[in-house]
Amino acid sequence: MSRKIICKVLLINVLGLFFFGANAQNRSIKGKVTSIEEGKNIELPGVNVTIIGTSKGTTTDAEGNFNLELAPSETSLSFSFIGYTSQTVVITNQTFLNIILQTDTEQLEEVVVVGYGVQRKSDLTGSISSVKEGDLTKIPSFNAVQSLQGKVAGVQVFNSSGAPGAAPVVRVRGVGTFNNSSPIYVVDGVILDDISFLNASDIQSMEVLKDASSTAIFGSRGANGVIIVTTKQGKVGQEKAVISVNSEYSFQQVGKTIDLLNGKEFGAITNDILPGTYNNLNLLPNTDWQNLIFRTAPIQSYQISANGASAKTTYYFGVSYFKQEGIVPKSSFERITLKFNNTYSISDNVKIGNNITLAPFQQQNAPDVVYQAFRAQPLRTPYYSDGSFGAVPNVGNPLASLEYSNNTNKGLRLVGNVFGDVKFLKDFLFHSSFGVDLAFNKSNDFTPAFTVFNPDGTANQQQNLLSSLGKGTSNSSTWLWENTVTFNKQIKDHRLNVLAGYTLQETSNEYINIRGSNIIRDLPELRYLNNPLYFYNPINTPVINNLSSIENGVDANLYYSLVSYLFRLNYTWKDKYLLTASIRRDGSSKFSPTNRYGNFPSFAIGWNAINERFMQDVKIFTNLKVRASWGAIGNEKINYLRQYSLITSSGLTSPVFGLANNLVSGATFDVSGNPNLVWETTYQSDIGIEVGFFNNRLTGEFDYFNKQTKDILIPLRTQGYFGNGNGALVTVNAGTVLNSGFEFNVAWQDEFKGVKYKVGFLGNTLHNEVLAVGGSKGIDSTLVGGYLGNGQASTLSRVGLPIGAFYGYKTNGIFQNDADLAAYPHDPNAAAGDLRFVDVNKDGKITDADRTYIGSPIPTFIYGFNFQLGYKGVELLTDFQGQYGNSILNGKEIVRPDPYNFEKHVINRWTGEGTSTTEPRSSFGGYNYSISDRFIQSGAYLRLRSLTLAYSLPKQWIDKVALKQVKVYVRGTNLFTSSSFTGYSPDFGSSDVLSNNIDNGSYPVPKVYSVGLNVTF
Amino acid sequence: MRKQLKTNHLKLKVAVLFIALLLTTSCDDFLDKKPQGQLLQTSFPVSAADALLVTNAAYASLRNWFYHSGGFPILDIMSDDARKGSSIADGFSTVGPYDNFTITRQQDGLDRWWNALYQGIKAANVVINSVPAVPMDANLKNRYLAEARFLRAIFYFDLVRAWGGVPLVTTPTPALDLVRATKDEVYALIINDLIFATQNLPEQSAYTANDLGRASKGAAKAYLAKVYLFKNDFTNAEKYTLEVINSAQYSLEPNFEDANGIAGNFGVESIFEIGARPTEGADTGGDQFANTQGIRGTPNRGWGFNRPSLNLINSFEANDPRKEGTVIFLGEILDGVKTIGDSATPDTTKVNGVAIEVECYNQKIWTPGSNVPATWGHHRRLMRYSDVLLMAAESSNENGKPAQALQFLNQVRKRARGGNNSILIDIAQTNKDLLRDIILDERRHELALEGHRFWDLVRTNKATTILGSLGFTNKYNLLPIPQTQIDISQGRLKQNDGWIN
Repeated sequence: MSRKIICKVLLINVLGLFFFGANAQNRSIKGKVTSIEEGKNIELPGVNVTIIGTSKGTTTDAEGNFNLELAPSETSLSFSFIGYTSQTVVITNQTFLNIILQTDTEQLEEVVVVGYGVQRKSDLTGSISSVKEGDLTKIPSFNAVQSLQGKVAGVQVFNSSGAPGAAPVVRVRGVGTFNNSSPIYVVDGVILDDISFLNASDIQSMEVLKDASSTAIFGSRGANGVIIVTTKQGKVGQEKAVISVNSEYSFQQVGKTIDLLNGKEFGAITNDILPGTYNNLNLLPNTDWQNLIFRTAPIQSYQISANGASAKTTYYFGVSYFKQEGIVPKSSFERITLKFNNTYSISDNVKIGNNITLAPFQQQNAPDVVYQAFRAQPLRTPYYSDGSFGAVPNVGNPLASLEYSNNTNKGLRLVGNVFGDVKFLKDFLFHSSFGVDLAFNKSNDFTPAFTVFNPDGTANQQQNLLSSLGKGTSNSSTWLWENTVTFNKQIKDHRLNVLAGYTLQETSNEYINIRGSNIIRDLPELRYLNNPLYFYNPINTPVINNLSSIENGVDANLYYSLVSYLFRLNYTWKDKYLLTASIRRDGSSKFSPTNRYGNFPSFAIGWNAINERFMQDVKIFTNLKVRASWGAIGNEKINYLRQYSLITSSGLTSPVFGLANNLVSGATFDVSGNPNLVWETTYQSDIGIEVGFFNNRLTGEFDYFNKQTKDILIPLRTQGYFGNGNGALVTVNAGTVLNSGFEFNVAWQDEFKGVKYKVGFLGNTLHNEVLAVGGSKGIDSTLVGGYLGNGQASTLSRVGLPIGAFYGYKTNGIFQNDADLAAYPHDPNAAAGDLRFVDVNKDGKITDADRTYIGSPIPTFIYGFNFQLGYKGVELLTDFQGQYGNSILNGKEIVRPDPYNFEKHVINRWTGEGTSTTEPRSSFGGYNYSISDRFIQSGAYLRLRSLTLAYSLPKQWIDKVALKQVKVYVRGTNLFTSSSFTGYSPDFGSSDVLSNNIDNGSYPVPKVYSVGLNVTF
Repeated sequence: MRKQLKTNHLKLKVAVLFIALLLTTSCDDFLDKKPQGQLLQTSFPVSAADALLVTNAAYASLRNWFYHSGGFPILDIMSDDARKGSSIADGFSTVGPYDNFTITRQQDGLDRWWNALYQGIKAANVVINSVPAVPMDANLKNRYLAEARFLRAIFYFDLVRAWGGVPLVTTPTPALDLVRATKDEVYALIINDLIFATQNLPEQSAYTANDLGRASKGAAKAYLAKVYLFKNDFTNAEKYTLEVINSAQYSLEPNFEDANGIAGNFGVESIFEIGARPTEGADTGGDQFANTQGIRGTPNRGWGFNRPSLNLINSFEANDPRKEGTVIFLGEILDGVKTIGDSATPDTTKVNGVAIEVECYNQKIWTPGSNVPATWGHHRRLMRYSDVLLMAAESSNENGKPAQALQFLNQVRKRARGGNNSILIDIAQTNKDLLRDIILDERRHELALEGHRFWDLVRTNKATTILGSLGFTNKYNLLPIPQTQIDISQGRLKQNDGWIN
């Protein structure tokens, strides 16, 4: 668990060389004690300053300042502090001492970033995991969150899609709500929903706050975990600029393709269903559609940064460029990131600064050809002999879909804050930060007029008679003003840190989407809607405007304000006994005035047993700490309109009257809102133990957590007679979910004959269970989701089951003959050769009521292990990661309204008595494609997430050209995955917790090969 | 210098405290985020213009696809007039069970239909509850209220026929714990609403051309007659049919095919119909009802559900032109478009060498053209004048007035024969029982595939005899209450007899 601390050698800067006269009077000496942690100058409070040869002395205040009177005979001072090497300074004529203490590698004292501050790791009572810069840049992705996968116990990261720019999904300690279960991000103090705008190289560390003791200070927003992101800063004292250049080039390929039937096999299945369709199977053509849509695609990533400091300022400046082409053509993501972090000391007591990121990006989105290629019949030709696109019945030609797709979006994200720190009354620090998150997005979706023709020359359904153009813009803005006062004091054995604060936040968003058709030319420069081309439509009212839809409004999930009061107390006695108590009171505009405020308290205690006298003799221990916490944390990530009963007016509320078929305006009551909504609250308990043995060569951290989320805000179906209509849901506080589990993180590191090595293993178990849904009268007590392409719901979140549990028939072999059929309860449509569904309720019939729990999308065990080897300049880094205990529903195989291609296993079909007990007889769809455990696959996998071989050039070579470091590396990402899943990649999922782990033909996560070069000078 | 800093500190502290105080006191305003681009129900409807909007919206439910028996024409499919249709696989387990009477309590479509009808009832209740307080012209206000009560009545009429007694909702925000009312209570509400509608709605002719499609006095009377027919109150049924007939507002289209076709939209025979625009999507004015049944394959006019059965085709009297007007056969050319059909559907389905089904389509929903959007513009006729004539015939016969019955019956036959006097000769039967069967048969051929047959058979207690061979049993006199509704009510809603297990 130890971490590298980038630390400069001890510097003593002697400032203020003023001669105050030679009077043999008492002199006053002032000074400041700091330490450099993670590139930041950290003030050290509570440092013992003793006058050597006397018993006199003092301790530094909250900002590391001290002030002493020295008698003429007193000429040297000693500075000592736990976790740091003591220093002795001889006083000649200085009046001000600037002391930088160096961390003691023997008794390393880490400082950990926590909410609204930093804390010594040994004083920590919460469960917090850190990931540092080296580990943050290992995964070639636009989003640094990807690097947490397999690196933090209790954290699961998966992909909603492998497409460039697709947001990863992060879960901290399971799924605690039916709503948005994503953690929040705090980037240099600004609270955000995602960090896709950041370049991983600009990040110093990411701290994952998991338990209530650490997250409750974020009150209404901490229930799903908090990820604190600290970006790089200039280093105090480092007057010479450090410039680094990082470049990486990667190429990506689809990891594996899905085994589908070839033309001959598809012909054989077709002949089963429609005998005599193909006479000679050997003559059938075969098109491998997957092969046609996937390509090898590059990722480029370049970054240059400079950082440094002068006496009063620090700076960090970074500029980076990232471009990922997708493994499916016409998909890409491109981003430039500009990063400016500065601080400026106005005086000894006043510091101001800024952390700003500016990130323009653009993205191209491919149509859903991955699913098309899965379904396209292999007998169809991609191109006719004249070069035009071949028709593919029912799904369309994927290559034509690609050809005619032009879907892009561009945007600009500006995230940052300006802050000021004022020290006063010796031990107090006032911090005020004003942060913003601005996002501007523009989308552009153009489809030219085109027609794919059937072999007989008639028009295929894959056509677009008039070119169409959709344009969208959205602007969202958040401002956040945080004001905190910290009191920091050490009095003898008592160390006290008190934080109080007041914050305000307001978020709003507005979008405009317009769609029109019949653009005069297909040229990119004509893709605007400013010159409406009117057209004659013989079916419709004769002449219509080319604008077909206009939408304008605010994103209901991004329109709210929050007021918060926060308070935290940390108390440490003798470095042994720790206490943390915090409370936050949040008010949110998302709730009605009576239910607006929520209080979120937490309490935690800790015991540094290692500091007890009796442990001093137990030599094998280097660290032993026990901690426990309890707290309440909120979640308010719901649409702000849920409390209101609104009016609806649209074409759907408008009748058509009159001989001219006029659509006549109408408006009526929409779904009833719920003014009684209150916060959903997570109560979390955590017990943890941290150990270190053999001089911290072996370290371990173990936690048990138990999280219960109550009053979960659930959109539920209400009685049909309410008149809310089909599919209408009303949000109610009506659910309880339990997540509990063990987390562990153990590591061994040592050096053997110049070979440094480190082995780590971490993971967590997870028990997820719905404890209650619904409950009050007239409200649904079952929560279905996972709607497939044909509208069938595939999940049921029922009491006793995990959230989003798969729901369907259990199968029990194949009906081998009519006697077999007669002997078992069966669906009236079943015949010999069909699946045998289990009569779960034993009523002698197979009905919908026999559908039952068939699998969970939530893994019961998530783990990662890594191995690092270093010898001289050579480093080998390997990260494995995996999960166990979850299921995947192969949804893409179930939805078959038309004859599509099949997965390979279908060829082993039942063709007569005794031929198969698992694969039913051939059919294009229907009975055997009901949702059943036939489509449930194991989601367990073990993956070689990252393998890096790096070489740093010897110092003596690069010194000659004034370089500090030159490192070259080759890296493979997702190189190897052990999984029985038949789809592309088992590590996918959905941010919708009720529709998770259903493979509906998603864009595969690629394998990536990279080469990179890092130069520092 | 030090002193100066200290005073600065003090100033800052004061400033911070001041600002914090200021913000704290204005917190409640800060947290008051009004809905953007959204109007609250508490401030609507408040004006005459609002009252019109809210009344119009009550009609919009008729264009909700699910209003049409959950999306699929199951009332025809459950009758002897039609088979599931479409390709073999399409809707096999969702629509198929209505064809062979193997439906379950969870059957696809039941829940959608139930919800759509209550959605319509809610929109009507908004008018009925809110418009009385709106300051506006009293006559117009009464018309709006009557329109809403007419609509509420026809939604409940579907509910009571499909499920029997159902929760009786008369406000936009009903109690959470309603139970099923009795069938009689539901009928009482329907009759009450329709009587109010007959008293306060204008005749069809009093509406301007732009208001065609609104409920009229004639429509309310025709529905009232039909409601009485379902209650076997033939006296009132006869009374209201005669009032419609004698109002001189309606007549038969000379051409039978125009009775449902585009040329007869809001025509002389149409008493109540659902307007729609030829555009794919309900939000732009389309109605998916016809698209569901349109020709599958070539020309692509829809999904091809509700296939006319051989039983229906063979039941027409010799040379009855209505057979051709009801069924689109393969190879038929309509408005210049030739029907080729679907390649995945067998032209003829045989069992043991005997044809049991031929590929053909419902012509009642035909709209000219060869692509899909036009089908969305079909106007579904909910009440036609020929239906009123046949109801008049039926109730007259039951009331012992065979001559009057024959007069109305033969009017319908006369139009059907299209001037060819060698076919569909006038009926002269006066035996009550025999004439009853003849009238029912006439209803079948005149109104085939318009959603009447199944309920006509249930209402006349002939369903077991006629549909028994298809799988009909007594429990099908009512459909099962959708299981989801029972589940959500936590058992407060009780299941219909025969569907409990």
